[in-house]
Order: sequence, then C-alpha cells, then structure tokens
Amino acid sequence: MGKVKIKRKSTLIDMTAMSDVTVLLLTFFMLTSTFLQKEPATVITPSSVSEIKVPTANLVTILVSGAGVKDGKRDTSVEGKVFISIAGDVDSTYSSENVREAVLLEAVNNYNKLHKNNPINLTNSQVQKFTKLNMFGIKLSELPKFLDMEIAQQDELMKDLSNPILGIPVDGNRDLERPNEFQIWMRAIYNVAENNKDMGNDAFASALRKSGEGIAVKADKDTPYSTIHNVLDNLQTLKLNKFSLMTALKTEED
Amino acid sequence: MAQIEQSDKGGKKKKGAQKKMQIHVDFTPMVDMNMLLITFFMLCTTMIKSQTLQIALPSNEKVEQEQQNKTKQSEAITLILDTERDADGNVKIDAETGKPKHTVYYYEGKPVVDDENKDGIIDNPNIKVEKFIGNSNGEVFGIRKILHNRNKQVLEKINVQKEKWRNKELTDEQYQAMAKEIRNDSTLTRPVVIIKAGPKASYESLIGALDEMQINQISRYQIDNINGVDSALIISYKKLNNIPVE
Repeated sequence: MGKVKIKRKSTLIDMTAMSDVTVLLLTFFMLTSTFLQKEPATVITPSSVSEIKVPTANLVTILVSGAGVKDGKRDTSVEGKVFISIAGDVDSTYSSENVREAVLLEAVNNYNKLHKNNPINLTNSQVQKFTKLNMFGIKLSELPKFLDMEIAQQDELMKDLSNPILGIPVDGNRDLERPNEFQIWMRAIYNVAENNKDMGNDAFASALRKSGEGIAVKADKDTPYSTIHNVLDNLQTLKLNKFSLMTALKTEED
Repeated sequence: MAQIEQSDKGGKKKKGAQKKMQIHVDFTPMVDMNMLLITFFMLCTTMIKSQTLQIALPSNEKVEQEQQNKTKQSEAITLILDTERDADGNVKIDAETGKPKHTVYYYEGKPVVDDENKDGIIDNPNIKVEKFIGNSNGEVFGIRKILHNRNKQVLEKINVQKEKWRNKELTDEQYQAMAKEIRNDSTLTRPVVIIKAGPKASYESLIGALDEMQINQISRYQIDNINGVDSALIISYKKLNNIPVE
C-alpha cells in the first residue's frame, strides 16, 4: 500500500508586501501631516459656509477660552482667557522663533516703559524658551518665573485656567496712553511686522494690515458675545479692524 | 527571524557547485512597528484645516455727526441676536430640532419708540422675531427668508450667472467676478444689514448671522454695539408677548 504523503506546507507568510504597503502609508501620513498644536484650552469653533482656509504662515491666532465644566455645572471662571500664538514665515530669517523673539523683546520693552518701578528683565535662556512656546497667555509680570519652569511644570500650571495669572489681560482698553497687556502684545507684533517689511519681508505686515488674514480669532461657539466683544473691541482700538474668525466647515447643505 | 534554508535534494549535484541558499527574512516585526507609527501619525495629525470668516469692523474713533454715513431708512434692517441660556449659562437646546436656541430680533428702518402711557414699555415696537433656520425642501425659512426677500434682485441676477457657471459656460473666476459686481451694483435695491449681538448671544449666533450675509449675497453689513434703544425694544417686546424677562 502506498502511503498518502501529506505535503507539509510552511506556515511562513511572506510579510514583505505587507511591509511595503505600511511603509507607503507611513510616508503618506508623514508628508501630509501637520501636527496638532498644543493649546491651553480646547474650543469648538462654530461652523460656517466660508471656505477660506487658515494660512499656516504669518498668522497670529488669538484664542479665547470657553467655559469649562466643574461639578456638572458651567464654570465661567475659566471663560474669556486670552492666549496668543504667533506663526512666522517659511523663510528662515522670519521664522516663528525669530518673530517671537522680536515680539517678546518689543513687548517687554514697552511694558517696562509703562512700569518703571518693577520692570521685567529676561535672560537669554528665558527668551530662547519663549520662542519655543507655541501659545502663550500669562501676565507679563509672571512671565520670567513661568519661563524658568520645566515644561511639565508649565503644563501643570496651565491645567487650571482659573488661575488669575493665566490669560493676557484685556480690560481697560480705551486709553491708548496706558495700553493693557493685550494691546502691548498686539502692538509689538504689529511693530515687528512693520520692521520685517522694512527689511524686505512684506508678507506679515500686509497680512495684518490689508487683508485681515493675519489675525484669526478662535473662540468657542457657546461663549457669550460680551466676552468676545472684549477682545474685538481691543483690536478695534488698535485700529486692527480687519481680521478673521476661525470656523469649521458647515456640514449641512446651506 | 531570518532563516537560511539549504535545499539539499539528494546530493545529485556536481561537486563544486554552489549550494543554493534560500533566505527568508521575517517581516512581521517590521510590519508591527510600521503599524504603530501609522497609528501615531493618524492620531496626531489634523487633516481638516480650519476655515476662516473674514470681517472688518468699523473704527472705534468718534465720528462727527455730519460725517457719519447715514443709511437709507428703506434699506436698513437691524438684526439683534440673542441666545437663550439657563440659570447656569448653558445654551438651551431646542427639543424639536436639536439645535441651540438662537433668536433673531429684527426691525426694518428706524426703531419705533413711542411710549404714550408712560409705563416704561414701548407701545407696539416694530420688532419681529425669527429663528435661524436654513433651507428645507428647497425653500428658505426663518431669518434667511427675510433677508432673501430683501435682497431678491441681487440673488436673481446671481442665480442666472450661477446657472451658466453650473453649465460650464463660465469659469470659476469669471463667476466670482460677476457675482461680486452684482453684489455691489448700486442700481439694485440692496439692504444694509446692521448686526447687533446681545451680551448673552453666543459666538455661534454671530457667526451664523455673518453666514447669512454670505448665503444671501449681502455686501453691505456691519457689526455694531447694542444700545439702550435696542434693549428697551426687546424688553418691551417680551413684556407685550408675555415672554419672561430675566
């Protein structure tokens, strides 16, 4: 009797093709991705039919935090905190880091002129640390202390937005002789943009001034208008009348 | 992981011939790692870029009375936005539609502020109420209908061009340029919309109102601050219609 030989098949599966596919996918994601930026407050922007995309370069984002939830109740103590994020040009001379550094020095300079009794002095390493921050929103008097912290400590501090030192102060905006800190920052940004223009880079200045694409206000959809108005009013006082409001694309048919 | 298999087939080969080696490299760990990386990138990326809505606010400087741009009464329409909130300040949700309760009070022309019996309530305020409702079954509703009717001439003209653009008779740019020209055509009756947001109105309702301007192709609109007359009108309206005033 001839024995029926069962062919022994190897259980090895050739993973090469699979590997090829995954590498391709990986490359795709790496090339198309822009990373989610760390933001101190998560906001849900309202939706609109506008299809104008947010630019990635030469943009100042003003984030207005929405109300949080505490013990199942609406917590307004964290509402209306203002944060600023500055993105520079693709051109490395006017990169985010360089623009942020210039803005910080300008802002501190102006602040010290107004507060001659307790001026801020920043060390070089503090300035370098500031340029790495994507978004900042702290009282200027607390800034040096904040910049000395480790990133983990900073994150810890940012977790509780009800802390009074967080958020850029926006109150008392009508008197341009005594600008509030938000105005100091915005004016510093504007001056830096104008300086860059003199040096031959017009992109930031024109984005700020003419078209209004340079400033984007980002706020939560449920935030009351009185809070938003506070910020918009400041921009108006600074004569930065043109700006954009960040929205998400409307899903329903208009 | 990587194995080298020797294929000996009975040693029939001549002496000196090189042994054939089959090399298997197991790619499974490689795939595992790649998958992990892909997952990381998928979770950390934003594919959808945010949209923006560009607006221009009027300057804050005081303008002399005679220098002020006066809007023709027949063209003006004022929208006052409000959002219903509960005691905690949460936005109330309409049970029927599942949408937030945004209300639009509006009046055409000048506000009527007569108070003959001096009870502090304006008699017959010429204020009306609408909701933000968009289209349904090809018809417009809510505040969109009001604005649509006010801007009919422009919309009709633009629709003619839109039809051409749909039939590929016009390029994108041509259509946009045409639409812009029609929007700014001063021979047509076009409304001037003044948007005022109450203190409790949510940011969403403001964006919604600005959206209506885009949808209805209204070129002349502005955001203004709410004043005493507007608040008085709303309070009077609520009192006359037995709506609780907070």
